Amino acid sequence: MPDPDFSTFPLKKKGNRYQDFEEGRTFQHHWGRTLTESDNALFATATMRFTPLYFNAEYARAHGHDSVVIDPLLVLCTVVGMSVEDLSEGGGPFLGVNDVKFHRPVYPGDTITAQSRVVGRRESGSRPHFGIVTWETEAFNQHGEKVVSYQRTNLVAKRREASP
Amino acid sequence: MTATLTSGNTYFEDFAAGQKMQHARGTTIEEVESQLLTKLVMNTADGHFNEDRMQKSPFGQRLVFGLVTGSTVIGLATQDTAENALAELGLDKLRFRAPVFLGDSLTAYTEVLDTRDADRDDAGVVRFKHWGTKQDGTIVFEGEREVLIKRRSHWGS
Repeated sequence: MPDPDFSTFPLKKKGNRYQDFEEGRTFQHHWGRTLTESDNALFATATMRFTPLYFNAEYARAHGHDSVVIDPLLVLCTVVGMSVEDLSEGGGPFLGVNDVKFHRPVYPGDTITAQSRVVGRRESGSRPHFGIVTWETEAFNQHGEKVVSYQRTNLVAKRREASP
Repeated sequence: MTATLTSGNTYFEDFAAGQKMQHARGTTIEEVESQLLTKLVMNTADGHFNEDRMQKSPFGQRLVFGLVTGSTVIGLATQDTAENALAELGLDKLRFRAPVFLGDSLTAYTEVLDTRDADRDDAGVVRFKHWGTKQDGTIVFEGEREVLIKRRSHWGS
């Protein structure tokens, strides 16, 4: 049997474009993530986060925690990561992140879910094929308690073909 | 008991507005920092890990995820700014000013913007501004950060 012609295989496209980000639209991001002690050790080690709370359980217990604390930067990166397909995989770089608040500690075994809402968008003055979109993102633990929130702004590619 | 595990010069009392630091260690961003951390945090954008596609893009190579750059720069600054931290409170005005590529080496710089009392008397809040540069001196990242830091008066040995 001959090999198939892969050019006839339709692409499973990912990501949204500027036109998809009506103000106020909300996205419940995919998957959720249970953050484990190994995730935390890997992240804190690779980034050299030498705050003992993140990798010394006895030290963390001496400071009122039941176990090590998950590095808040890992929480932030994971929340942004889970939002990428909905918000920014369609193309266009990160412009900035503002007003990141870490509301409470996250511990190994906690499961994080995230959602974002479009809070602003405008055309790019210098790049006609792009717009600028700002989202407010919030993430919660398994008890529904908010763990992190922030505003993120990206340059976002426009969909070029005529709308269906 | 825990005071012997961290240095004695990173308590709240050791920080004052205007203080500047160049952090001693730099790091090169390679596959572990870029590809592994990007996938660990489930960032699905393959511009961070598909070399063939990115060679055909205007960048010509994979880009490092901005928050890997930011986390690495804050990591380089962590021993000097948060060894005695009780909590990271927040970040603000994070800007990714130039692209970072695999093989780039980052250095971190910090200025103390402000110090203030916390709502607990064993710690205070320090507001830092961090910058990260790469080997040619280009600023690739900047951002502000607030950390809750132990007071020596309560926690020192």
